[in-house]
Amino acid sequence: MKKREERLILGKGQYTDDLDFANMAHLVFVGSPHAHAKIVSINSEKAVKLPGVLKVITGRDMMEHTYPLPVQANFKGEGWTWRLVHVYAIPEDKVRWFGEPVAAVVAEDEDTARVAADLIEVEYDQLPLAGNAVEALAPGAPKLYDDWEDNKQVHLKFDFGDPDKAFEMADQVLRVTNREGRVTGLPIEPRGCVGVYDHRNDFLEMWGSFQTPFLSRHNIAATLGMPEAKVKINSVDIGGAFGLKIHAWKENVVALASKLIERPVKWIEPHRDFMATGPHQRDVVFEGDIAFKNDGTLLGLKAQVTHDLGVESTNKGIAALSIFPACSSPTNMYKWVGMHVEGIGVVTNKSFYCAYRGYGKDKGIKFIETAINQVAKKLGMTPEAIRFKNFIQPHEFPFHQINNYMLDSGDYPAILNKAIEMADLDTLRKKKKKLEPAGQYLGIGIITSIEPAGVAVPNCQMGGITQARVLMTPDGSVEVYSDRTEIGQGSEISHAVIAADILGMEHEDIHIKKVTSDFIGQGPLSSRGAVYPASAVAKASKLLKQKIIHCASTLLNIERSEVVVEKGYIFCASDEKKRLSYKEFAEKVFFFPGPRGLDPEMLKNHDHLLDVTTTWYSPTTPESGSAYTTFCVSADIAAVEVDIETGVSKIIKYVHVHDAGTIINQQVVDSQIHGGIVQGIGEALYESLDYDSDGRLMNTSFSNYFIPTSVEAPDIEIAHLETPSPFSETGSKGMGEAPIIGSKAVILDAIEDALSCFNIRVNDSPATPEKVRKWIIEATKKHNGAA
Amino acid sequence: MKISLSLNINGQDMELEIDAKQTLLEVLRNNTKFQSVHRSCEEGECGACTVLLDNEPVNSCLILAASVQGATILTSEGLIKNGKPHPLMKAFTDELGIQCGFCTPGMLMTSYAVVNKSGKKELTDKEIRKSLEGNLCRCTGYINIVKSVKQAQKAKNAGEWW
Repeated sequence: MKKREERLILGKGQYTDDLDFANMAHLVFVGSPHAHAKIVSINSEKAVKLPGVLKVITGRDMMEHTYPLPVQANFKGEGWTWRLVHVYAIPEDKVRWFGEPVAAVVAEDEDTARVAADLIEVEYDQLPLAGNAVEALAPGAPKLYDDWEDNKQVHLKFDFGDPDKAFEMADQVLRVTNREGRVTGLPIEPRGCVGVYDHRNDFLEMWGSFQTPFLSRHNIAATLGMPEAKVKINSVDIGGAFGLKIHAWKENVVALASKLIERPVKWIEPHRDFMATGPHQRDVVFEGDIAFKNDGTLLGLKAQVTHDLGVESTNKGIAALSIFPACSSPTNMYKWVGMHVEGIGVVTNKSFYCAYRGYGKDKGIKFIETAINQVAKKLGMTPEAIRFKNFIQPHEFPFHQINNYMLDSGDYPAILNKAIEMADLDTLRKKKKKLEPAGQYLGIGIITSIEPAGVAVPNCQMGGITQARVLMTPDGSVEVYSDRTEIGQGSEISHAVIAADILGMEHEDIHIKKVTSDFIGQGPLSSRGAVYPASAVAKASKLLKQKIIHCASTLLNIERSEVVVEKGYIFCASDEKKRLSYKEFAEKVFFFPGPRGLDPEMLKNHDHLLDVTTTWYSPTTPESGSAYTTFCVSADIAAVEVDIETGVSKIIKYVHVHDAGTIINQQVVDSQIHGGIVQGIGEALYESLDYDSDGRLMNTSFSNYFIPTSVEAPDIEIAHLETPSPFSETGSKGMGEAPIIGSKAVILDAIEDALSCFNIRVNDSPATPEKVRKWIIEATKKHNGAA
Repeated sequence: MKISLSLNINGQDMELEIDAKQTLLEVLRNNTKFQSVHRSCEEGECGACTVLLDNEPVNSCLILAASVQGATILTSEGLIKNGKPHPLMKAFTDELGIQCGFCTPGMLMTSYAVVNKSGKKELTDKEIRKSLEGNLCRCTGYINIVKSVKQAQKAKNAGEWW
């Protein structure tokens, strides 16, 4: 079952950097040292004279040989703002962020390309900066895009239910603000690819760390002006992605280079470039009023979330698309009367925004969970009591939420009860009370969340497309094709388990094929793996099973209802001696089909071809408009000790209770939970991309962008509940992003609780020791002043 | 400038002609094709390129190959014996101490050194975590890696080790 894992552990992985093609050249980008400047001139004379240099590509070449990057999402709602720009993969006239490529050098080897890159002389004329969202929105702020009125790219306005009524019904209203720092997903393997242009066939084939090859093909083909049929994208072993490898940007330059020099061209991105010119996320201010009754009944929300998007994405519109879930996810798992949420996206002179685990769902849920805990505090309720009061109840599913989410299934109270039991909440609280007088500050955080998974929205490339093919080969084994690349999230294990279980085969006889652009689909994003591709694979396997049963019934001369498939054999239920191994069966079907073997009617109808290609689409999205199909459920409880002298937070206990429907493979689910929680902890405590006043990114290394090491990562206690989703083919729910949603919120909540005697709002992540100290000092001053 | 370099890599004596400015990482990946040694940050921060240099885990990206003339190098390929996975590798498979697999070879080499040095004493979670601090993993949250190292240590104590 762990074929891939065994192979990788034996050192047989083939990651992008391991690729080698005959006559392969190497490409290196030249990045801008300025955050906002006109490109006055580019002089590559010295570079091209260096022996081994083959080509220098600038923005002018991109304009001459390619098209602007294609639009990937475009919304024109009433009263909405949604602006896009024409940008090329390398700009011709202006740089808009630190590190933005101004040229690419292609040489015989990487070293030569790097040396030549340093020889390229670029003259810049610096422009004033719009360094952050506040600066960029100020009147008279320097504009990033001349033809826009201002720097506001997006302004979306949503009304869910009846927000005015909610506020009329309210006894109280509370204002809550949350700020999240700028982060990046940062897989250990950076981006990279090899482009191989075959001029004889006018065919471009690329290999690399592509998370969504089908979409990448569409975008690369459009940029190069080639028919999609003339482009093929192959994913090789991917060293982590988390959403950061869904796009096609610098990859276009690699493709063009290969086309221009008619040789394979390889590009491996240095890690510092991956941080400086890679997708960023978060960097939001979420503020709003929450309306509630004195008994703790939640009623409504009026809020606004402002995103610092950086430059207009190299995935045009896809960055801004994450504003949708940020606005709609605050409904979380509760009943509401109404919400009004506005999402604003501002362009600034920072690297672009794109997908990273969470993609906005995290922002909305984190905000509302924080707000609810504030309401509980105000009313003197416990965080669990306010949740039990407002949860959607188990008998109410499927529940049509005010934002059109069709919540599929779950037992929300049971999840929280289980977490309370595992965390031994009473004992923790007693401990907190006991420690405080001794100068030890223990806090307990409680967060509950759902994860909307499996996105399907119109007007963008995330429309919900997927395709799977399951076929039997003449040796009786099975091949599975889908759009779900393996990015370390257990796609291959999951698909092998699904197909093997349905077909009654051994796992080792199921072969999961590497993903290429030959199969339609969005790939694994928005936790859709267990929703769309897994459903398509399950559906194709079931259809193949019907064919197998049909063929076997004629081969064994028994009724179809008598055919059993189990452990690699096909046999008759009432007479197990009548049996065939899959190997014997497949050989007969493929090579000796008739007339005495298979039913002639089957042959006439071509029913004996053991090959099924199918697709799958959400059963709820078309009618409800629900942008997601499954909603897994989590409860996170964390205990954190804060050293008030140093500001250091230490996680003492972490409990995560989870319901992702039917579990396909528990080890895979657990490891997704571990990894997601630790990424969330990174966001809550350490990770922050900071730009200086000149717009230069200050952290372009693991030495100053701190992701958790094995020392900071805590032990995590996990429990699973299994409420199958009625809407996915296997009963499973997408869950890849759920752990990061709960964890980043719960750690901050726990810190706030630890510092409750200082009356501090921990609403600005990451809660670094410096910040915690600052909050404590300010709170103490305020307290002393008041006294 | 070309120089000759003698190394024992994974039990094999090798005479290599290398460029004087090449790092050990580059020599292992490009000259000898031990590509389990992964290139990532190239500044000694992530640990993906960890190999054993005379039994000590090092970041091969920080070492000038010419400076380790005559050294003994072990990469994760060298743990395999007669095509059989090392018990440490089996532990990482069993406990799923791997997701994307990119940090794994480096993680294996640090773990191998840690378990080798541990004697019969069972390492605590805290000790294992401390020893793996220089190997970054973005996928697993480290829990299954710690479990893998513990299983490996059991295998070693049971005599299933090389």
